[in-house]
Amino acid sequence: MNTNKISGGLAGKILRIDLSKNQISTEDTEKYARRLIGGRAINSLILLNEMNPKAKWSDPENMLIFGVGCLAGTLAPGACRVSIDTKNAFNNGKGSANFGGHFGPELKYAGFDHVVITGKAKTPIYLWIHDGEAEIKDASAIWGKTTSETERLLQEELGDDRIRVASIGPSGENLVRGSAIIGDCGKAAGGSGVGCVMGDKKLKALAVRGHGAIKIAQPEKFFEAVDTALEKVKASPTLKAFRNGLVDSVFGPESTRWDGFAITRNGQDDYWPVEKREKLTGKKIGVAKYRKHLVACFGCPAGCMPFFEIDDGEYKGTKGIGYWVNSAWYAVRMDVDDTAASLKFQLLANELGLDGDMATVALSWAFECYEKGLITKEDTDGLELTWGNADAMIKMAKKLAYREGIGDLLADGVKEASQKLGKGSEAFAIHMKGQDSVDAYRVFKGWGFGLSTSPVAGRHLRGSVSSPSGMGPKKGLEWSTYEYENIPDVVFWQARTKEIEDMTGICNYVGTWAGTRALEVSDYAALISSAMGIEITEEELMLLARQSINLEKAFNTIHTDFERKDDYPPRRYMEEPVKSGPCAGAKCDKDKWDEMLDRYYELQGWDKETGWQTGKCLTELGMDDVADRLQKVGKLK
Amino acid sequence: MSIKVNSKACYGCRSCELACSFHHQKLFSPELSSIKVLTSMRTGNIKWSIDSTCDSCEGEEQPLCVKYCLYGALKEVA
Repeated sequence: MNTNKISGGLAGKILRIDLSKNQISTEDTEKYARRLIGGRAINSLILLNEMNPKAKWSDPENMLIFGVGCLAGTLAPGACRVSIDTKNAFNNGKGSANFGGHFGPELKYAGFDHVVITGKAKTPIYLWIHDGEAEIKDASAIWGKTTSETERLLQEELGDDRIRVASIGPSGENLVRGSAIIGDCGKAAGGSGVGCVMGDKKLKALAVRGHGAIKIAQPEKFFEAVDTALEKVKASPTLKAFRNGLVDSVFGPESTRWDGFAITRNGQDDYWPVEKREKLTGKKIGVAKYRKHLVACFGCPAGCMPFFEIDDGEYKGTKGIGYWVNSAWYAVRMDVDDTAASLKFQLLANELGLDGDMATVALSWAFECYEKGLITKEDTDGLELTWGNADAMIKMAKKLAYREGIGDLLADGVKEASQKLGKGSEAFAIHMKGQDSVDAYRVFKGWGFGLSTSPVAGRHLRGSVSSPSGMGPKKGLEWSTYEYENIPDVVFWQARTKEIEDMTGICNYVGTWAGTRALEVSDYAALISSAMGIEITEEELMLLARQSINLEKAFNTIHTDFERKDDYPPRRYMEEPVKSGPCAGAKCDKDKWDEMLDRYYELQGWDKETGWQTGKCLTELGMDDVADRLQKVGKLK
Repeated sequence: MSIKVNSKACYGCRSCELACSFHHQKLFSPELSSIKVLTSMRTGNIKWSIDSTCDSCEGEEQPLCVKYCLYGALKEVA
């Protein structure tokens, strides 16, 4: 690997803003990129090097870092994504979330690859970042506004409708842990409470506009790599389905994916009847009937983002982008088969800045408490939290975002809420490492194992795989959707390729994970090498990916007490099998999980007993500096 | 020759802007592009304009915006 001189791909600068001191400075990206290329990996390095382990997520020292992929803003297919990293608002470990859209490339055209925010403002502010400069500006006029109103008002105030905005809604302002940062009014960076951290800093939004350019080091080779990559996208058998609308094409009512992904009634079962599914994802009566057209993220050939408008009934006039597979999960989890309400819930979450995943876990826990008589109408301001009650689901989302009534209890996540309520409610508080977890663990073994080993606490974009037909390596490993065999090896492979994608900013829907499953690691090597003017091979990229994983692992080990014990699924999924449907009886088997963890730690080079990193592994990866940090806190094997 | 946009086919990905700017300046920058696409996720609207600097990629086999339009929304017309 030769990264000595980077001559393309990057915007070139890192913007640093201290909100407590009102200070703005910049530094060159190159010294970080020489080691870790770009995107999340660089964010993780900055966090590990600079964050005080004793500081909590809500302390001014907490850092909120936006990092754009090193290929974003170029013609590399689907390169647009931004990684947002911080101290996790649920557990003080590594926090990380990610969005696509058009914000990231605009930030690079404004001259910045990363924005590192520390401190806290005394009063609400927003950042106006444009053409190599940044200003801290008064946000009193937009504080309290929804995310789409925020974008509209900022574009008006600053006089440019090409300004891109990433903002929080009322949810983040009210420090609801499960808050997202919303880019482009509907691209949610969810997980880790990144929107809550932003709200805690009284930072309402980042508005960006750039007139600059991205240089390519070796244009001829780069265009060859782009052409090769695009040919793979065009040849993808699933491309058409994506462009026709993700939910109804890929997650249609008859799909067996439902049996592995659809958790209902807060995880009481993993089966939902086909006639109910039809109402969510059926082509004629599902949410697709409200879809007006599809929109693409910057430079993306998949084009999967639907723009909706509800043109009848109670929610008439509601519109916006965003209804993905997760959005269907939300309604299923609440046993709601009301088409319009399901769509309304998702679009409302985007407007309020609620993280739909986290909000639904909190709400479904409350509904189960109600079902079991642990809370009553007196606790809910008269709302009947019965399964399938769409009106209550939507009203509760608002209560959560504004911390009204019982919303205040739910706003700190189900782990803390269940500890406060007690009465046995901890048993069905579904969290991973303290963070609410919306995903299914019991049926698709690779999905569950990826969730349980994710460094960001039960999130599926770090190695989870569902079936060999759509995820994992295309050759070299035999594995099955419903069996445990070889799962650690597949997850280890997918976790690394996801790291590379998040260094480049290339969306996983054109990459190695799901979607069109078109680009391969060889494409990333060719695109990165030619864009940046460096020499990097496929094998070297896979090693860099391990470095990135180990940075997050070290952050968790140093900043929390996470060990092997924290890499098991939520209690309910270990103890209660699926009750009905074709996968009845499935659960997460403890002995099998032990075997998988042993194998996974072996692949990673980590200690099997504790799950900690080893000096041998880190030395092999050239990470002695990280080993030293772990040694100092007595957590290196 | 000129470039024509099929509004129904466009997804607003803006790859055409990058292909165009590269033709003009060997850089990726929407600001340097003759074709401008404004994609609003808030309204769902996609707006286009092509200014007088467009030379239909003189010297190229076909206009780069047409070649790199991922959705077949652009074509060269006489």
